[in-house]
Amino acid sequence: MDRGLARRLEARFEGALHGQARQRHDQTEIRIGAGDVIEVLRALNDEPELAFTMLVDLAGVDTGAEMQVVYHLWSATTSDWLRVIVEGLSRDDPRIASVTFLWPGAEWMERETYDMFGITFEGNRDLRRIYMPPDYTSFPLRKDFYLPDDAARSPGAGVRHVERTHSPVDAAPGVMRRTGA
Amino acid sequence: MATQTFAKGTHPSADDPHVLVEDDYAFYEPIPPYPPRTEREAEFYTLGDGEMFLNMGPQHPSTHGVLRVVLKLDGERVVDIDPVLGYLHRGVEKLVENADYHQTISQVDPLEYISSLFCEWAPVTAYEKLLDVEVPRRAEYIRVLSGELNRISSHALFMGWFALDLGGLTPILWSFIERDEIVEMLAALTGQRMLFNYFRIGGVNGDLNHEFLSRLGDWMSRAVGQVEANTKLLNENEIFVRRASGLGVVDQETAIRLCMTGANLRATGIPFDLRRTHPYSIYPELEFDIPTRSEGDSLARYLLRMEEVKQSLRIIDQCLDKMPDGPIMAKLPRLLRPRPGRAWAAVEGPRGVYGAYAISDGTDQPFRLKIHDPSFIHLQAVGALLPGNLLADTMAIMASLDPVMGGVDK
Amino acid sequence: MTALARTWDHLTLPGKALFILIPLLALLTTGLIVVIALFGKQILDILIFNLPIVRFVFAATVLLLLAPPIAFVIIYMEMKIIALMNLRIGPDRVGPWGTLLSTIHGLKVLMKEDFTPTRADPVVFTWAPVVVFATMALSVLVIPFAPGLFAQDFNLALLYFFAIGGLTVVGLLMGGWASFNKYSLLGGLRSAAQIVSYEIPLTLSVVGLVILAGTMSLNHIVQQQGVYVDATGSHGSGWFLDWYVFRQPLAFLIFAIAATAEANRTPFDLTEADSEIVAGFATEYSGMRFGFFFFAEYIGVFIISALTTVLFLGGWNAPFPFPRISWLVDPGSLGIGLLFVVALVPLLGTLLLAAPFYLFRSQTRWWVALIIGFVLFNVVAAGLFGLWAYINFDWVAGLFWFLGKTFTLVFVFVWMRGTLPRVRIDQLMGFAWKWLLPASLLNLFVTALGVLVADALRGGPA
Repeated sequence: MDRGLARRLEARFEGALHGQARQRHDQTEIRIGAGDVIEVLRALNDEPELAFTMLVDLAGVDTGAEMQVVYHLWSATTSDWLRVIVEGLSRDDPRIASVTFLWPGAEWMERETYDMFGITFEGNRDLRRIYMPPDYTSFPLRKDFYLPDDAARSPGAGVRHVERTHSPVDAAPGVMRRTGA
Repeated sequence: MATQTFAKGTHPSADDPHVLVEDDYAFYEPIPPYPPRTEREAEFYTLGDGEMFLNMGPQHPSTHGVLRVVLKLDGERVVDIDPVLGYLHRGVEKLVENADYHQTISQVDPLEYISSLFCEWAPVTAYEKLLDVEVPRRAEYIRVLSGELNRISSHALFMGWFALDLGGLTPILWSFIERDEIVEMLAALTGQRMLFNYFRIGGVNGDLNHEFLSRLGDWMSRAVGQVEANTKLLNENEIFVRRASGLGVVDQETAIRLCMTGANLRATGIPFDLRRTHPYSIYPELEFDIPTRSEGDSLARYLLRMEEVKQSLRIIDQCLDKMPDGPIMAKLPRLLRPRPGRAWAAVEGPRGVYGAYAISDGTDQPFRLKIHDPSFIHLQAVGALLPGNLLADTMAIMASLDPVMGGVDK
Repeated sequence: MTALARTWDHLTLPGKALFILIPLLALLTTGLIVVIALFGKQILDILIFNLPIVRFVFAATVLLLLAPPIAFVIIYMEMKIIALMNLRIGPDRVGPWGTLLSTIHGLKVLMKEDFTPTRADPVVFTWAPVVVFATMALSVLVIPFAPGLFAQDFNLALLYFFAIGGLTVVGLLMGGWASFNKYSLLGGLRSAAQIVSYEIPLTLSVVGLVILAGTMSLNHIVQQQGVYVDATGSHGSGWFLDWYVFRQPLAFLIFAIAATAEANRTPFDLTEADSEIVAGFATEYSGMRFGFFFFAEYIGVFIISALTTVLFLGGWNAPFPFPRISWLVDPGSLGIGLLFVVALVPLLGTLLLAAPFYLFRSQTRWWVALIIGFVLFNVVAAGLFGLWAYINFDWVAGLFWFLGKTFTLVFVFVWMRGTLPRVRIDQLMGFAWKWLLPASLLNLFVTALGVLVADALRGGPA
């Protein structure tokens, strides 16, 4: 746990951070909004005291109330992993800037996030589906994805009973019980 | 003059005189039957002068699993490449959300099925961070021991595959001898030959038993000689060396921008190995080196992996010497309900950094588990490395980056 | 009539074919017998008058009929030897040690579905395997297997061989183009480039040998590598140092490498590289058409091994001159003793060879021992017969050495396939044009210079 890192980050990105930098085990976590992505990540990558040059993971999260994009970065200057959570993306039309200008290797990770959640990465040259077929209409990892409805819309619809549309009363989107921390 | 190709009747403005709509020959071309959705797709599916598409389909003797690759060729030279994934997509991340924490272990096994233990290690470590559980030392040593054995068997398979894609029929069968012995050993330890389902949250499933140790002892006495013999077959082979050297060269900056990790990154000269740069488990107590090379070509990647095998043998030796006594599993309730929170854990797998990001919402099922798979990233890198090379190098570069389609497709 | 129609309906397709063929064959046979009975003498006269043609037709037929068995043997060798190099077992079940497997494979390809892809050019598609096989079959006609055992020999045999062998590329291109498949196209074009490039070093490397030999007739080349005619007109085998490999070592090396490339063998097998282009030009072929390609490849291996043997390794000559013994026993002189020999020798041989098994191995029953004895006796008798044939008929001896050397080279080709990875197309072409061609020119130059110098020293051409 690198306390110095948390202080440095809070000092550098005062306005952009939502709340404090949180630390647990060997991870430091900061939260920013979608508008600050380009500036914050570029600063994290370029500035020599921060030097978070390696993007290790780019994940999408659907908390039920909102969408998030989570970046995991590594730097030689600290022993902690840095987690940047971009929160506040709406569930209807989530849009966020793409980091492919910094890390071309993020292109496929953003494609995967788009495919699974529907988050549009503006600036990604190749934002098309990567796992699902190109004419697929749903976004599977969203919490409101209901498999029988999706199967009923598929080319094999109606063949098996699970693919016939029916909406049971308790088929509500799986919202997080507690919007945990 | 560039002609944009569409299948018959699919172009939205077929009466535009500047757009050439092909006749039904286009049916046989691997172009999508709809207008391009993104700018990259439009750029790719536009043929220049004298270029043609070649589809190396999901069924092919040497794409590493079900992978479809559309190549744009100018004669024998590859101009561009568009890998199409998803043929092995199993929706593991969604399945995991409907399972207990313990059940997720067997579900993440088939992701990188060749190095299953690492696929289990990262999520298990992430869950342990969520639960603030400390793993007993003996369990950590057993994890490292079995993990390094799995790393050796994965690298042996890499060697065989790489040689097979270059045309040599013999090394793959010789490497399978080594791999078979290791896999039998791990079967004695874990009960399974391939998808081990061995790690548990808080430890491992079964302790070292007599059969495992005797097989391990037998094999260790022969291991070094076997590795030497296998590698000698290829290292001193002029044709192999000339095929593989200078192929798919990556420099350090490109490698970092492409988010490459593992042996592919170390072959460019950057000594990034999570076991040393971000130590986890009991690696700080073990003595081993991180081999690096600076050329960044396929031969360097191959030689590097062979050297890593030797380092893994050192680690196994030390684990056996220093194995402490004690429990192999921490005391945990059967039904796990971690506090709401998030945890990330990464391990150094044979292909690179294998990461897991786990979000818990206080219930007994994980809220989200995101797996970061190195093969996914490296397959993307093929698109950056391949253009300009010949067709025969497609498979060679892909094989030297060592992707496993289970991990790519999740 | 209706009974016939009903029977016809009941028959299957093969049955219908046989129903028509058997009466037809019977008719033809009777016709033939009648013709021979009536005109037999005139026919025989014509044949004797045209003996060379008859001989050629007979030899060509024999060679064509022997081609499948040779191919089967080589296919089996390849499967088994590569398996053993891979530390596997290889063919094991069909026949003793799996020897019948390649024969069964040959029969299996006959039974596969034989289709033409939809957009493929049907004429070219069908004729491609025929062209490839025909060129192979034609080029085998000039190879001397033993003294007197060749289909045809003339003083341009070597040139003919290279000319016909170069036609293979036409067949491969036809197959690659007509398949309407990009993999096939790539394979066909690669093979065209490869074969054409390697033909030049192949032929140039042999020109030096032709200068030394003074003839392009393969039979004479082999004779020069061992046969000497002394004052009595008899001839015998020379020493292995007479072989051209010691007089033209660079040519041998170049020829061996270029021949590997000509036959599309590893490490130059990118035309059928199955890790990149599935099966190259043969991707869309199935059934017997694929069988033809496959066949032609292995016959090609045999042919280039045979040619290398003939040109450089002494052909049918033994490595050192064996003393000539005559073992011809006149059976007539035995008289009634012949009957005893024919009856008693097998019996005594069986009993003699069965005895050790019965006496020293307690669990062998007497009739099992007799069977073992009989089998062993047959083996020994065959061996002795072979030895007698070897000593008395020089074509047997020559065939033995020729096949031994050829199959040793085939083994080397198989060995290379099991060991080496394959080269890339640009490395292949670079190697041919930048290394082999200058080397063969150098060889030619040095040989010519050597001949001139030797002539000058001798005071005139030999």
